[in-house]
Amino acid sequence: MKVQVLFFGATAEAIGKREIEFSLVDNVNADEAFAAILKSFPSLQQNFQDSLLFAVNQEYLGGDKIIKNGDELAVFTAVSGG
Amino acid sequence: MLSEKDFFELTTQPIDTCEVARRFVPNDCGATVTLDGYVRQFTKDKETLYLEYEAYQPMALKEMEKLIAQAHEQFEISLVGIVHRLGKLEIGETSVVISVAAPHRRAAFEACEWLIKELKRTVPIWKKEVYAGGEVWVEGENQTARLNNS
Repeated sequence: MKVQVLFFGATAEAIGKREIEFSLVDNVNADEAFAAILKSFPSLQQNFQDSLLFAVNQEYLGGDKIIKNGDELAVFTAVSGG
Repeated sequence: MLSEKDFFELTTQPIDTCEVARRFVPNDCGATVTLDGYVRQFTKDKETLYLEYEAYQPMALKEMEKLIAQAHEQFEISLVGIVHRLGKLEIGETSVVISVAAPHRRAAFEACEWLIKELKRTVPIWKKEVYAGGEVWVEGENQTARLNNS
């Protein structure tokens, strides 16, 4: 199945893309999906190890939530608005 | 629950702080506390030239809405307005306005402080700081947003 993955700010700059289509095996949960994404983009973990946040369909992720075909995932660093 | 007149917005245009503060003046309220957050030039010895803000817009709006709903649960307030600016901001320009109207001032002060603290922790907006020697995406201090929101 395929999901859309969005990057913002520092993560978008680090990989040079703001949006990708990403293939996952069926029935993976959110933690597994994000682990697969980080494996494909090692620079994210190298640069932002502890500060990465993940969202699924515009909500902060729940770890064992099952990802569905067409879901919108996002990978970004600790937020800094205000 | 949100009240009918609560508002939360993202804009690339300059924010008129007074307009946000006075957009609604509920007749059961006696005070509005308004935070006008703006771009700081000097952080100790370091000089900022300008900031660039970017957001995950649909999620940022959802998170702002959640914060306002939580504020209504926690504080005796009538109305919240939040407007955050995106794009390039010069020194002194307003980046965020949070306005809280309440029957009595104390709840409005407390809710406003709580809202800006939570906004900086959970709402997916980022700032890039551009200074004389380079630029850096600012990373938030609190990295537990997902734990408390999941």
